Amino acid sequence: MTAAATAPLLEAHRLSFHRQDEPVFAPLDFRVHEGELVLVEGDNGSGKTTLLRLLAGLLHASEGRLQWRGEPWRRDVCAGEILFLGHHLGQKLELSPRENLAFAAGLHGRRDGVSPAAVLEEVGLAGYEDEPVRRLSAGQKKRAALARLLLQPAVLWLLDEPYANLDRHGIALVNRLLERHVAGGGAALVSSHGAVGFHGGEPQRIRMHA
Amino acid sequence: MSAPPLPQACSAMLRRDLTLAWRRRGDLAMPVLYAVIVAVLFPFALGPDLALLQRIAGGVVLVTVLLAMLLALDAMFASDIEDGSLEQLVLSPQPLALMLGMKILAHWLATALPLIVIAPLLAGMLHLPPAAMPALLLALLFATPLLSLLGAVLVALTAGTRRSGMLLALMLLPLCVPVVIFAAGAVAAAQQGLPWLAPIAWLAAALILCVVLAPLACAAALRIALDS
Repeated sequence: MTAAATAPLLEAHRLSFHRQDEPVFAPLDFRVHEGELVLVEGDNGSGKTTLLRLLAGLLHASEGRLQWRGEPWRRDVCAGEILFLGHHLGQKLELSPRENLAFAAGLHGRRDGVSPAAVLEEVGLAGYEDEPVRRLSAGQKKRAALARLLLQPAVLWLLDEPYANLDRHGIALVNRLLERHVAGGGAALVSSHGAVGFHGGEPQRIRMHA
Repeated sequence: MSAPPLPQACSAMLRRDLTLAWRRRGDLAMPVLYAVIVAVLFPFALGPDLALLQRIAGGVVLVTVLLAMLLALDAMFASDIEDGSLEQLVLSPQPLALMLGMKILAHWLATALPLIVIAPLLAGMLHLPPAAMPALLLALLFATPLLSLLGAVLVALTAGTRRSGMLLALMLLPLCVPVVIFAAGAVAAAQQGLPWLAPIAWLAAALILCVVLAPLACAAALRIALDS
């Protein structure tokens, strides 16, 4: 085995982010291995979203180091391996869920043997595939965005409040997707201030403090 | 696990933006309508003096088309920033500059091309001599993508600031001036029966420069806009 194969997927040393010279969160140390689920916990304004945007590569760390598979984090290395789903769902309101997915697949690629129609059925949008996203409810929009998780090939999922706007079945759906992703060797960082009913063992937790 | 090939990503980008433009076609009609109204009002304001109209026709059509494009410029990245599509684009394993280049191309196809199509009609209403028509169309064909590219850089730079429209117009003005001078120069030369290809060649050279540099500048500016 090479060193890269055994190194954690993502490793942070004294990672922090400053906005106008004010630290958004205290320096963090953590490791994420393949097949691991990590919960990012904290109150409103504690920097959960900032951390996830930082890990996705949208922000630059002010201090500390970030390593990807044992190597310094580089955008071009992890671009296709990280999937970020934030508060903004990245869904075009004028397009249908199917068209949105087709675009995502064109840009990010598609898992082998996965079709947009099957993915949309799985997230509970059967019958709404060709409806403009604008006409869907908030929860359905969220489900349309979650469909990307099933379609795109990515090792690390960064999910910012994936349970927001979802009903009980939707929450169960997110948990099911997470369990399957982790069981398949994927990893996920999930931010949430609510209770998470994840059944696949006790997940690692990152506590955020301002 | 490999990223989709570039041609596929480019066509996906282009197809999405053109589909979006078609779904929002009400917005697209706006610049065209604006150009028609301005060109129709000029003869009413100046009187039906044939010689005068002929002299100003080329310039009026050029300025009208460029101003009409300005109306739609603001919206180039706004909705993508708002709904998070831009974040996803930045995070995709595709070269951002090339993807933005596709977006600019789609924007040009959706806003400038209809204006170029109606330009002969506007010029005809203002009695532009038919001999100058090819020069006008060629000038527009090079000047409008130039404006789209320059505008895209400025839109990217002002992205995320509120009321960026005002700032955008102020910043674009000095960049517009040479474009208008060369384009109008070509039309004026054609009207006087002089060779008119040289100014067009200058526009083409500037266009080539911008095609290469503007998407890169856009990509850098948008990355900074998101990094805050």
